[in-house]
Amino acid sequence: MALKSAIRDLRNKPDLLFLRLPNLVSLVCIVVGVVWLLLLPLNEYSRRTYISENALLPGQVHAYFTGSEQNIFRGYKREIEGLLNEGAEPPARREDTTLNPTYVEQQDSRMAYMVDVANMSTEYPKKLRSILQVAGLKVATQKYEYTSAGITHQGENVYGIIHAPRGDATEAIVLVAAWRTADDELNLNGVTLALTLARYFRRWSLWSKDIIFLFTPDSKSGTQAWVDAYHDLHPASVQPLPLKSGALQGAVVIEYPFEHRFHSLHIVYDGVNGQLPNLDLFNTAVAIASGQMGIGANLQEMWDHNDSYEARLQTILRGMAKQGLGYATGAHSSFMPYHIDAITLQPKGQGWEDEMALGRTIESLCRSLNNLLEHLHQSFFFYLLMESQRFVSIGTYLPSAMLIAGNFTIMAIALWMRTGYHLRSAPSEPRTPQKEQNPAPVTEKTEQTARISGPPVVERLLALPLTLVTGLHLLGLVPLWTLNTLSHQFFTSVTYTFVVVDVVLPLVLAALLSNGLGLFSPIVPQQYLLIKSFSLLLLGLCLSTLATLNFSLSFIIGLLCAPLSFIGRLQGLSAPLRYGLAVFGLVLLNLLSPPTILLGACWYFGVSVETVLTQAAFGWDVWGMWTQVVVWCVWWPAWLIGCVLLGSSVF
Amino acid sequence: MAIDQRKVAVFAGAFVLRLVLVFLFPSLPDLLTGRVEVSTPVNSFKRLQEGLFLYTRNVSPYDGGVFHQAPLLLPLFALLPDVTQYPLPTALFFFGVDLVNAYALSTISDSGQSVKSRLHSAMRKHIRWDGASVAAWFLFNPFTIATCLARSTSVFTTSGILFAVSNAVEGNSINAMLAIGFASYLSLYPALLFVPVLLLCYDFHAEKSKQSLNTTVFVLQHTAIFLGSLTGLLAISCLITGNFWEFMSATYGFHLLVPDLTPNVGLWWYFFIEMFDSFRAFFLGVFWLHLASYAGGLTFRLRRQPLFIVSSLLGVFAIFKPYPSISDASLYLALLPLYRHLFPLMRYTFFAISALLYSSLLGPAFYHLWIYAGSGNANFFYAITLVWSLGLSILLADFLFAGLRDEWEQDHPEAQGKEVKQV
Repeated sequence: MALKSAIRDLRNKPDLLFLRLPNLVSLVCIVVGVVWLLLLPLNEYSRRTYISENALLPGQVHAYFTGSEQNIFRGYKREIEGLLNEGAEPPARREDTTLNPTYVEQQDSRMAYMVDVANMSTEYPKKLRSILQVAGLKVATQKYEYTSAGITHQGENVYGIIHAPRGDATEAIVLVAAWRTADDELNLNGVTLALTLARYFRRWSLWSKDIIFLFTPDSKSGTQAWVDAYHDLHPASVQPLPLKSGALQGAVVIEYPFEHRFHSLHIVYDGVNGQLPNLDLFNTAVAIASGQMGIGANLQEMWDHNDSYEARLQTILRGMAKQGLGYATGAHSSFMPYHIDAITLQPKGQGWEDEMALGRTIESLCRSLNNLLEHLHQSFFFYLLMESQRFVSIGTYLPSAMLIAGNFTIMAIALWMRTGYHLRSAPSEPRTPQKEQNPAPVTEKTEQTARISGPPVVERLLALPLTLVTGLHLLGLVPLWTLNTLSHQFFTSVTYTFVVVDVVLPLVLAALLSNGLGLFSPIVPQQYLLIKSFSLLLLGLCLSTLATLNFSLSFIIGLLCAPLSFIGRLQGLSAPLRYGLAVFGLVLLNLLSPPTILLGACWYFGVSVETVLTQAAFGWDVWGMWTQVVVWCVWWPAWLIGCVLLGSSVF
Repeated sequence: MAIDQRKVAVFAGAFVLRLVLVFLFPSLPDLLTGRVEVSTPVNSFKRLQEGLFLYTRNVSPYDGGVFHQAPLLLPLFALLPDVTQYPLPTALFFFGVDLVNAYALSTISDSGQSVKSRLHSAMRKHIRWDGASVAAWFLFNPFTIATCLARSTSVFTTSGILFAVSNAVEGNSINAMLAIGFASYLSLYPALLFVPVLLLCYDFHAEKSKQSLNTTVFVLQHTAIFLGSLTGLLAISCLITGNFWEFMSATYGFHLLVPDLTPNVGLWWYFFIEMFDSFRAFFLGVFWLHLASYAGGLTFRLRRQPLFIVSSLLGVFAIFKPYPSISDASLYLALLPLYRHLFPLMRYTFFAISALLYSSLLGPAFYHLWIYAGSGNANFFYAITLVWSLGLSILLADFLFAGLRDEWEQDHPEAQGKEVKQV
């Protein structure tokens, strides 16, 4: 009964229903969303990992890669080292076409990028070719070139295929060794190990899937060029592949960029745009490394993970940051968009495991993948890992991002209803301001309209709010286009320009808006609410869609946009107080603007803005990364509208 | 005839917008052509290309089992230059069709039939949009633009329907019958609109003519014209393809028996994928009966507002057709602003529109997860098509409610403005 009367009371108090309650519900949504995420590391909400696909049988086979293979390894290594000593530059080069040589000489820090095209070594592809051919593989090469932000990336991929003695060349596994690791170190041992494994695998008769050994110059562009060309979706600057095999079932990237023995394996699994490989692949790698080989497995650079709540949460947050930014974390990332599950194995630390142990791990992993009867599909594709053997699946974590996205939708619906029911809440108010909406406003008929439409439903003036919201979202294309087309040396200045634009533009728009942009009749208070309603509706829409594709990005943007739910045009305050509050709010909001956040993050992590934006442009051009689209076409317009509304309290 | 400047501006703006989109994003038309939300087996431009290829090489276009559209489209498109080399003429042709459709729509709006018909006069006549606004609403609807850029052949059916209605409201009942015959010939389902369009024609003539109209003669005359136009079109098609039964089974048989279960935004494909074969025939009958029954029921109940019947039926088709696409939804949404005067009576527009917006964003996302990323499955996309249909259903139900309420208020002037209460 109490509840019933409470609801009845609510109906009679539109002020409470439309003003206080939505704010409260939105706030609760955000708080619950954040708390939800913080609860995930607890044992009650997370699960231990398990192998879902029975065919994988991780660690059930004996790995024979030992003994005499080590001599082969040393032999190959000597051959490659011979090339290095002869002075041939290791592959992987970036050429800055916008810098002239004299300028480059003055810029020592840029020397790493500077490459003399004339000296471009063809020795390495030749060497790899001959080694693979002698080992009995079919070998082919592929040249590629990408240009992004005025920097040219070029190189030559070499790959060899072992045709499965027991297979029909319809499926294949890829082993990748890049000359430069994801951290831009020379991956000498990794490449050598891959060569040794190629020779070793060739002699086994048990393969039922083809095995492709791919050697790329770097970890950023090489695999992308290769896997694009493998599926015939390569741009014109990338050569097609002369030699192909079947559908790729999985890919493992081998890195071993140092000479000493290692302690544990670091498994990198994030793909472009936050796509993840099937959890079974990760689990298999962990099971083989720690269970069969006795090598520990790390993830997300958590070297001393003590399985405490803090460590788990930190692992999740690091995973979310990588997923949210959506960049390629290694050579494996490029495989993910083609639905090929892939991971990178990085040996880390000082220990007593040698390259043979890594080789055995990879052998065992390949044997497991070889067992697969169907594409990996059993286990999860959406998960957050908090430790090598603990995870939460999408059903458990998705509500947190959805709640945050939902808060915008709730607010949008509340604002919509509030604009419609204004008459009832303030019956004494003059009706004319809300009634001027009709394309052919007939003032004398207003009274009649009010009488006929009966229930206190107010007509809404939709043209201006719709135009403004759509227009500002389209305006987001400008920074998107600019930052993906300009040459990299302008990036820093462009970012600062955008900071300034973000301060000025909302005020200009607010001033224009106060007389209806000159196109429409003067704006009425209802329209400010409608603008906010549409903007938040769109934000909620985009974020909840995004949550299904890239949970972390949606969560992060949702949190950064959270204040937008609660700000709007200030009303009913005395002028000085209103001005003060508006200016204060604008300053705060400007601290949360996309360019400011970018600058702040760069300052915090000690990287230059130019590097970040160059990487982002490269991601857009080469990897098909769309984090920028979300930033400039979802976050920035919503933020801008928030600022405009707040700024309008001054005019 | 004075040229309405606003109308010209709207038409020119829509044309330029389409042109700009094509030039700025040259890959957009092909991308949209491949989307399941836009292209279904019965309106896909890709499939038309396949049929055209066979046709121009003197092979029966239906041989490959890919092409299921009316044969008359083939000689028409054979006149246009090869689309792979010269995409612009075809694109311009489709822009033109869109503009013509918008023109028909503005004619319907200007006739005022939606607010005042022979037997009904709306209560809120003064709340109205003029033809230019209605045309703008249609032309700038993203769904319409997507359909147009994807070169979906549904636009011809849309033309047929809109011209049937616009001719009917202007009294050209013969043209109306010919147009509805053309639309039915293209897509079969517009045949269900025959009765409401006939009512529109009848009401117009009954209002204008001095002496009372002979109903039987009128109905027989118009039915004969409708059937005659259908027969004529079928005869020409037969001449083109040479094999009557082959094209009948490949086009109308395909519409009726729904053999291709490619995903689309409708409700049929998933249902029939899951169905055991022994029940298929029965449920095909049930689904078709369900769809057809609306035509009878709505015509009976809303006899006083024939144009309202047409609009509501188009909404029903957009939801319950075997191969619906967003072009059907765009046609229904195009007719809504004719009933601008009902908007104050509608209660769930915001929720319905939100549901449609949500599903039009989540649909492609889930389709991506299912088909490309491989991390989702068919249920993801199907769930969203359910939400889409739910959104349209809410809109349709609300629209019908508003229409009925309007009728009721006309009958009970004393109850105007009172809240509806369930007793």
